[in-house]
Amino acid sequence: MRRSLSSAATVVAGLLILLDLLVVNPSLGSAAGALQELLVLLAASAAVGGSATLVARHVRHLAGASPDRIGSIVLLAGMGVVLAAGLRPGSAGASDPIVLWLVAALLVPLATALFAMLFFFLLAAARHGIEAQGREGVVMLAAAMIAVVLLLPIGGAPGDWLATAADWVRSVPLAGVFRGLLIGVAILAAVTGTRILLGVDRGSE
Amino acid sequence: MAASSAPEEAPRITRLELRRYAPPIGLLLVLAVATLIPAGLQPPELRLASPDRARVDQMRAVVAGLPSSSLVLVGFDPDLGTYPEIRATVRAVLDDLTSHGARLAFASFTAEGRALAAAEIDRLGRRAEAGGTRPEMLDIGFISGAEAGLVRAVSSIVPNSASGALAEAVRARGGGIGAFDLVVVVSGGDLGARSWVEQVGPRLPSIPMVAVAPTFLEPELAPYLRSGQLKALLATLREGVAYAEEVPVAGAPRDRAIPALPMLIGMLIALGWLVVIIMQRATGRLGPGAREGRLA
Repeated sequence: MRRSLSSAATVVAGLLILLDLLVVNPSLGSAAGALQELLVLLAASAAVGGSATLVARHVRHLAGASPDRIGSIVLLAGMGVVLAAGLRPGSAGASDPIVLWLVAALLVPLATALFAMLFFFLLAAARHGIEAQGREGVVMLAAAMIAVVLLLPIGGAPGDWLATAADWVRSVPLAGVFRGLLIGVAILAAVTGTRILLGVDRGSE
Repeated sequence: MAASSAPEEAPRITRLELRRYAPPIGLLLVLAVATLIPAGLQPPELRLASPDRARVDQMRAVVAGLPSSSLVLVGFDPDLGTYPEIRATVRAVLDDLTSHGARLAFASFTAEGRALAAAEIDRLGRRAEAGGTRPEMLDIGFISGAEAGLVRAVSSIVPNSASGALAEAVRARGGGIGAFDLVVVVSGGDLGARSWVEQVGPRLPSIPMVAVAPTFLEPELAPYLRSGQLKALLATLREGVAYAEEVPVAGAPRDRAIPALPMLIGMLIALGWLVVIIMQRATGRLGPGAREGRLA
């Protein structure tokens, strides 16, 4: 019974959104708008719930004998500082200058520094890939080498040739594979959506 | 006894650590030094810009065709991992829009996008304080709900708390995405140009959309460019550099510089490394059976 109700709710919500896209009707638009509002609220609740779970987990780490207590302290302190800056009396919330400063001067540079290490991690991962996978790893690395050669920043006639070849690789074989994947995923999503809308998806029953 | 053995252990550990970390540290230093070499001293044979200017011309034409004091919505949702690839292009687009008198509103639908948008808005503010041009900006902030939030923004995007001339101008035109003359989508995160084309395109078909995206999204977005759902697209580093070269520099030019020399050095090092490990694999010194072979 509970499953039938959830299936019915899914079908009604899906059809409503679809109809709103196809038919111009103010009442239908209002109903679809209310559903969108509900979805936004649900997403916001999920984000708050996720944050609360994260806090609870790291508080447990601190209370127990976790080996990464410093990490938990840093995470909770970071959350606390941002929350305090955004929720203090007189704060403008997420657009408060202190929050913006914390994000622009600390969070983004720290994250950028971490991602800047990708170059080294990728080189190390290439070696590990060869060690672990053998032939497949060699094929992958050979493809990576071709891509790097095609993107070499050189000018003149060789540079033009490389740029043309890079464009061809991107727009023919790579785009073909990528679009094949996308079309496959889209067909699967459409089939799954249709099954749910028609109530024939056994997984939801 | 323990006190006398400690000094003997320490130098060996340090040497081991040095051997392990010396190559990456050396590489980092080489790249840092290469980055510091002024563009004028770098070999003229190096070129990063795309020789094909078609997409650059498309983007420039869209920006040049905007009415005066136009309202432009920047859907700012890149991700931290790929933003360095498009950062210079995004800054060039913002400069281009500003130099055409566009008024910019920033909105993000992902948390990462919001963080990066906050950093860019902060940079634009600091540049204005340093004597550069200050664009008229509205920080709409983070809009929750992912695609549902995007659909909701079609009818209402300005938060009630927003104030100022730009917020009022958007409200006077209806308060939704339809109030804008152009949408610039900065892609890379979970909610990018594809979501905008899918969700906003059918609801507001008259709003022109352009996109800046990292290379990995190019195969996904190129069909939208061909179909006209995107009016312009810059989706490779070469296109971005070519575009940045065309846009007059406003403020600090270092913001937009992507030097070719450190990139070439990094790529050559990567190539060398790949050749070495493939050779090691070919000679059997590396691979699934190599360790067992050595042990045997």
